[in-house]
Formats: sequence, structure tokens, C-alpha cells
Amino acid sequence: MEESKKKQRIGVYICHCGGNISDHVDVKGLRDVMAGEENVIISKNVMFACADSNQKEMIRDIQDNHLDGIVVASCSPKLHLHTFRGVAERAGLNPYNYVQVNVREQCSWAHSDHPDEASLKAAGLIKAGIRRVASSEALYNIEIKAHRSVVILGAGVAGMRASIDLAKMGNQVILVEKEAVTGGNLSRKGALFPTGQKGTELVETLTRQVKNEPAITLFTNATIEKITGSIGNFQVEVAIHEKAGETLTFATGAILVTTGYEPYQPVEGELGYGKSTRVIPIDAFDQLLESKSGELQFEGKTVRRIAFVYCVGMRQTNGNNKYCSRTCCTAAIHSSLVVHEKFKGVKAFHLYRDIRTYGKNEVLYERSSKAGDIYLLYQEKEPPVIEPRGDQLLIRVKDQLTRKRELELETDLVVLVTGMVSRSDSTTVADRLKIPIGNDRFFNEIHPKLRPVETVINGIFLGGSCQGPKNITESVQSSLAAAAKINAIISKETLFLEPIVARIDPKACTWCGKCKEVCEYEAIFQVETNGKLVASVNEPVCKGCGICGPVCPYDAIDLAQFSNAEIEGMIDGFSDVVTLVQKTGTEEVTATKKTVKMMDFPSEWRSIMQSLQENPMTIPEIATSTGLEPALVTWHLMTMNKYFIVEPAGMDDSEEYYRYQLKIN
Amino acid sequence: MTKIDPYFADELKKYGTDDFTACFNCGNCTAVCSLTDKSVFFPRMMIRMGMLGLKDEILSQPEPWLCYACGDCSETCPRQADPGQFMAAIRRYSVAAMEPTGITKMMFKNNPLFLLITLIIAGFLGFFLLTLKPETNYARWLFAYLPFGTIHDLGLIVFGITGISAAWGVVKMFLKLKKAAGKAPGKAIPVSQAINQVIREVTVLKRYQSCDKEADSHWHAKSFSLKPWFIHWSIMWGFIGLLAATTLNFLLKDPETTVWWPSRILGSLAGILMVYGSTLAIWYRLKKVTKAYDETKLADWMFLLFLWVAGVTGFWLEIAVFLNADMLANHLVFLFHTVISMELVLLFAFSKFAHAFYRPLALYFYYRRQSA
Repeated sequence: MEESKKKQRIGVYICHCGGNISDHVDVKGLRDVMAGEENVIISKNVMFACADSNQKEMIRDIQDNHLDGIVVASCSPKLHLHTFRGVAERAGLNPYNYVQVNVREQCSWAHSDHPDEASLKAAGLIKAGIRRVASSEALYNIEIKAHRSVVILGAGVAGMRASIDLAKMGNQVILVEKEAVTGGNLSRKGALFPTGQKGTELVETLTRQVKNEPAITLFTNATIEKITGSIGNFQVEVAIHEKAGETLTFATGAILVTTGYEPYQPVEGELGYGKSTRVIPIDAFDQLLESKSGELQFEGKTVRRIAFVYCVGMRQTNGNNKYCSRTCCTAAIHSSLVVHEKFKGVKAFHLYRDIRTYGKNEVLYERSSKAGDIYLLYQEKEPPVIEPRGDQLLIRVKDQLTRKRELELETDLVVLVTGMVSRSDSTTVADRLKIPIGNDRFFNEIHPKLRPVETVINGIFLGGSCQGPKNITESVQSSLAAAAKINAIISKETLFLEPIVARIDPKACTWCGKCKEVCEYEAIFQVETNGKLVASVNEPVCKGCGICGPVCPYDAIDLAQFSNAEIEGMIDGFSDVVTLVQKTGTEEVTATKKTVKMMDFPSEWRSIMQSLQENPMTIPEIATSTGLEPALVTWHLMTMNKYFIVEPAGMDDSEEYYRYQLKIN
Repeated sequence: MTKIDPYFADELKKYGTDDFTACFNCGNCTAVCSLTDKSVFFPRMMIRMGMLGLKDEILSQPEPWLCYACGDCSETCPRQADPGQFMAAIRRYSVAAMEPTGITKMMFKNNPLFLLITLIIAGFLGFFLLTLKPETNYARWLFAYLPFGTIHDLGLIVFGITGISAAWGVVKMFLKLKKAAGKAPGKAIPVSQAINQVIREVTVLKRYQSCDKEADSHWHAKSFSLKPWFIHWSIMWGFIGLLAATTLNFLLKDPETTVWWPSRILGSLAGILMVYGSTLAIWYRLKKVTKAYDETKLADWMFLLFLWVAGVTGFWLEIAVFLNADMLANHLVFLFHTVISMELVLLFAFSKFAHAFYRPLALYFYYRRQSA
């Protein structure tokens, strides 16, 4: 940035936070130091910067003194960044000419036992903030037009229910279903708790509503092939498999992913699966129940005893599926109750690891035990052994509730209560949408509690069990939440996005294409300006991640709010010399110090690395050899370990301390 | 390897445990029970055995008999599975399973049949008693059809069956418990010490007394004379006293004995205890003072009523003898008293009464289980 662009009239506000900051940090001293900083017109202490009265005073200050940049040294920007951006805006100042410095969480709270150093650190941070705001630019939100249409992936209960609501709210809906029919997993369910309606009935009702709704276009046997664009204006390519090679492209404001789950498929031999045809997964069992009446028969033989084995494929200590599917306990107990209701005299055994019939479903558990169902508690490490014996199955189980006694039972049928796993094609969908997948291989939301239906990609939402195991109620709840959220966004028709995006200097750019290569979001494209090929950024698509900046060999890319001038200014500010009056007992000592202890780190790291050059050493040995405090050595080593500079190398001979060695790359 | 019998729970329910399958094994019952310790597992473990149909397990453990039915477990049960009721039911089941005739099974599982059998036995006993005095006018014409000797011998056979059944049950239980106890770990305390402990427990019911030691127990602050353990103690020692007095009377064989004689004094004191105890027990059950008295089965009513009636008619007769009131009404009361008392003894092995033998036996094995 050029010098002339720098802000000349900066206001600095240093907050007491009622004592939260001022108890440990010398806020008055800092105010005096900052008053002497270049271009600072106002430097003030405030009791609560966020208080209404102070906000009004700040607005007056900005207007009366024609301030062109403000710094508030208070708490975390997570708390009040938007508060003070609002103050700036109301005072007529661009909200991006405001910088928040966190001296509470990062100084007074973190270093309350070293108040002098906390003050020095705060001085460095505030100085950095001042330099940053000096180089800040006025930025304006990116305005985009939104299509009032939504593409929904998956016509299960979540997708259909959301599409009906979105259509009723005045949006066009493109409902894309991979299978030939709608309904997904729900169409395999029998009577449901607590209404007693059948899954198939619900699917019929929903499908009829979807088909009767003119604003919904349903494509079955169709998949999404490619997605480009961004919130408000996505381009979604849909392949229609019935007509080979045909693809349709839809412009849409948002995308809702309701692709659902797949039931876990037991592996051959798992809990007797495959050893006998009488070991069946719960979905098959539910369908069997639906198809029979009068007497429960399987393969021509009357079923008098059924064993349900729970947690199949779930809660694996060593496997991939660490999670609990949370719906299957209820499903199995419900099926057992359906058995008792429909067929008399059938005995049911439940071999479980924990019963998680949460919420209202607990009544089912109670009903089932009252009906005389026998519950046997097995441990994951000692699963029941299930073997065919004649046309029966013999189960051996160590029951934790009977002092781990080995029990034997004969049954006519074993029902494997399988949980939910993510769809086998979920990685393909995730790749196409660029939404993250968790360790459990389900799609991830931004924040499980505060933003549960949004993904990191603006405009792409999650609903139903593609996000993790959910029952029907919860699936519909989440997809309707997403529908409401989507409608709130696209019904405005004009959207504003934060302008924190990459910007390319066409003068410096020579189009080498490196930035396009690294961009995860496909936000960079080639344009021709003045007869020259250069890179350009699709602003609504750019997430401001900044990965393109460092790969550019010509330094032609800057990230708004994180420009070179701003970052370099911050480093200068932080490493500046500061003079603070320090109280030592009753004496007052004026100390001039470099604020940046951090600058020492490379030298301390170097000396640690030097001492490790020959042999691995323990922390006390390193401390002796370097002359550093053992606590400091520990702290450094942990950091160095995290950044792959050192690694543990076993215990020392006395088996008291770990040795550390340099990590060889 | 133990085989699960899923139909056993249905069978047990017929002995009067309606809701025990509601149990979800939380173990609160065992936690609140004052009588469980590190070697005694009930009610939860017994309920578990009941659920899984491990009937032999139930019959070969002293646990069913170690419980005095205070009802704390049923008060605490979060599932209203009524563990106390379950414990009572497995005691009934045990009584039925130990005796060889199967009569108890019929009676405990079927109330009308229970009443019918009781009445038939009463009728038979009444008839039998009348036959003892062949010179009586009522009886004479009857013997034209049934000779006195036959009836008398038949009576002896019936009493013999009772005696043999009781002995059978005791031996059977002893063998079962002994076999199972053989598997228990640790070195047991000596036999003499165990017997000593049983006698001490029977004398003062120390374990029963500990049932209301918790401050929030209904009985905690009540006078000892109202507490269930004392009621039980009164009935038990009252009955034993009466039995002793009757035996003494029989040995002395003096029809002229007056109320002042030692055996009569013993009888009167014991009678007071038994009537006091059984009156309160009946009252508690009618009033359902605590959860323990909520559910009274026919077997409980019959047992208590028999004791009470035997006691009250006994006192009636004492007074009648004292007043020398030789009237038909008093003769009938005497007949009634004798029938009731004899039926109590006759049904000894086939009723709730059997606990008088099974419980001390179980206690013996419980004490033997303690390591020395």
C-alpha cells in the first residue's frame, strides 16, 4: 500500500471491562502510550466499551474529530466485532476501518499472574491494531441477486417434506431422486411409533403432495453431476438417467442435501449373518412382520422365539463407526411390541449393549419389559455367538446382568438391529458440493448447536439423516429448519456477502494458473484485460481462505482485510519498543522493553535444537544444557512437537522422563 | 452353560408377582435393602433368575428366605416392578416346588381351588373328630356305613402324608442348598457356629429388626411393639408357646387341668402374644400401612386368619372352661378350634406355614456361607 492511503486520524479505545482487563493490565499506562502513536488523534479509557453510552460517545468522537479509523482494545472479536462495526457504520465510517484488539482473553485473563508482561503484550497487540487500521481499506459488501429456487437432493421423507414447504413459501423446487421411486428408507418401514401409520402410507401421502404441487419438479432416476456458482446463483447439472446422456442445468438460489443414510450391512459371519438364513437384518424383519398375519412364519416354520441383537455395526471401539445410531433401540423394541400385538405367544429376547430409547420412546422400553421381553446385556468385546442348530439358532451370550453368566438360548429367528451409516456415494456428493465429511462419514454442519443445518459452503444446507443418524421426526425437523433458513435467504432476492475475498492485481498477474490450481472453491478464473490474460476472482464464490496468496510468484494476490500492508504493519507494531511504568512493590520503575517476547522463541528453539543435535534428551537435561527454565523447555517442546520439529524417543533409563529427539524429515 | 427358559416368568406370575418383568435391572432394590451384603444378592439377582427362568437357581439359594418383606425395595423401584412382591412369590413357588404332592401348586395358583381344598379338609377333619367319640349320638348311625377304625386309620394316613411331605421338603431343600453351597468360594464357618447363629436369629430376629434401621423408614420412630419384626416375633413365639403348652397338656393327660397349671399359664401367655401379633398383622394388611402390606394374597390371608381364629377360639374355650359352661355352643367352638388348629398343622407343608422350617434352614446356609 502507498503511504498516502494511510489513515491519519485514528481513535483508540482501551476498555476496563469493569476490571476484567484493568485489574491486571495497566490500561491507563497503555492509553498514554497509544496517545503518542503516529496518527492517533484520540486515546481513551472506557469502563465498558460495549455500553450504549460509550457507543454513542464513540459515534460523537468519530463525527466531531473526523476519525478515519478506530481501534477498540477489549474482548474477543467473536463477542463484539459486529457491535463496533455497527458503531462505525452509524458514525458514517466504513465498518472495515475498524479493528478489534483482544486484550481480555489474550492478556488479562491469560497472564493474570504476570500483570507487567500482560500489559506489555497488550501494548504490542494494540500497536499492531493501530498499524493495521492505518493500512485498512474501506470495503463494501458484495451484492448478489438470488434465484428463488432450490435444488433438493433426495426425495426421502426429509427432502419431500422440505420441498413441499419451500414450494408453499413461493419458491421453485427441483427435487432430484437417485432411485426410481420416492420415499427412500421410509418406504421400507412398517407401522411407526406413536401414530401407528405405516412408512409406506407416509411416503404415498408425501409423494401425492409433491406431485400435486406445481412449483415442485420431481426427477427420479436422476443425479447431480456438477455444481458451480455460489449462494443465490448456483448452476446445478442434473443427469436424467432414463434418457441416456441427457443432462439439465438449473439455476438455483440454494441447495438442500437430504440424501439420507444406508442401513449398515453386516459382514459375512458377523453375529451369525450368512451362517443361517434365519439371521436377518431388522429392515427385512419389519417387512416380514408387515407381510404376515395370524401366525408368524419364516421359511415355512412358525416363529415362537425371536432374538434381537443390538448395536450391529455401531459403537465400534476399533472399527470406523464409533457413533451410536440412536434410533435402532427404539426401532427394535417397537418391532418386538408389534410382534406381541400381532402374534400371540411369541417370546422375544433382546441382546443389547445399552438401551437408548430416549425421550418419549422410553415408554416402549417399559411396555416391552412389562410384556416379559428378556433383556440380556452383552459387552462389545464378548459378542453373542450365534450358530445354526437344526432349523433353530443357538445363541450363547455372557450376560452382564447375571454376573457375567454364560447363558444359552434357542431361537427361531435372529434379528440384527443394524444402525445407520452414511451412503456409499456420499463422498461423491461431498466432492461435487465441496462440503466436508466427518470422521463418521456423514456430512458436517458448520456448528452442531448454533448453525446445525448450514454447511461451510454458503447456500448449501443439510437436512435429515445425511448429517448423522436421526429418526423420522428429527429428520423432518432438520429439513424444515433448513427450508425456513433457505427461504429467509432467497426470498430477499438480493444478498450481501462479506467482502473478505482475494483480489488480484492485473498489472502484476501474468496468468501462471497456480492460484486456480490451489483454489478449493473454483473461485478463480481466467479473463482477458487489455489484451492480457490474467486471473480473476468470482467474489461470491471466494471464501477468503487466502490459499492463493502465498502461491502467487508475482505477489499479485491480496486478501481484503489481510493485505501485505496490514500484516506487515501489525508485525511492526507488535515488535515496537514500548515504555511502561511498572510498579514493583511500592517502587515505581520505568521499564523500556521490547514487547515481543515471542521474538526470543526462535533463539530458544535454536538452542533446544542444538542441544538435541547429538543425542535424545529429557526435559531436565535440556534445561541444564540450555540454561532455560524446565517449565519453559516443556512448553517449547510441546509446541515443537506439535509442529513436527521434535518427537518423543522413548523413556529414559530410570523410566521417569520422556526423551525427545529432532524429527528427521 | 445355563439355558434360558422364557416361559418360566409366566409360570412365576401365577404365584402372585404381577409386574416383575418390568424390572430393568437398575439394582436400586438391592441398594436400599438392609439385608443384602457382599454375599447376598437380592432382590435384583433373584428377579434376574426369575426372568431368565433359572428355576433351579432360585430353589437352591437361601436368598428367597433371607428376605422379611419390609417393602423398601417396592417403595424404591423406579419401574413399579414390586420386588417385594416378587420375593414373596418365589417363596410361594419354593414351598410348592419342595413338597412332593403338588397340592400346594394347585392351591397357590388357583384361589377357588385353594378355598375348596381348605373347606374339604375342614369338613374331613370335623368328621374325623366326631368319629373319635363313637358313643356320641351323632356319630353312631354313621358308622353303619363307614367303620370307625377305617376313618381313624385314614386320618392317621393323612397326617402321615403331611409329616412326610414336610420332611421331604426340608430334606429336598437341604440337599439343593448344600449342593449349591458347595460351589461357593471361601472357607465357611463351622456348623456349630452356624447353628448357633440361626438360633440367635430365630430368638431375637436381629436381621428382621435391621429392616427399619433407616431413619426414613415408616417404622423407624414407632414403638417396638408396633414394628413388623415384633409382630412376627409375637406370632412365632406365641405359636411355639401354644404348641409347647398343648404338648404338655397331652403328656400330662389330665382332663381336669385347671387354668392355673403351668402349661395352661404358658398357653395363655403364648395365646395373648399370638392373638396380638396376628390381629395387628391382619390390621396392617387391611389398612395397607406400607407398601409391604399392599398386596395380600389368599395364602397370606388364610395363614393369618387360621392363626387368629385358632387363638381367639382358644381364649373363648379358656373362659368357657373357667366358667364351666357346658353348652352346645361351646362344644361347637371347641370343634371349630380343633379343626382350625389341626388344619394348620395338616397344611403345614402345603402353606405359607412351611416357611417356619425353610427359613431357618436357609439361614443356616446363609451363615455357613460367611467366611470364617
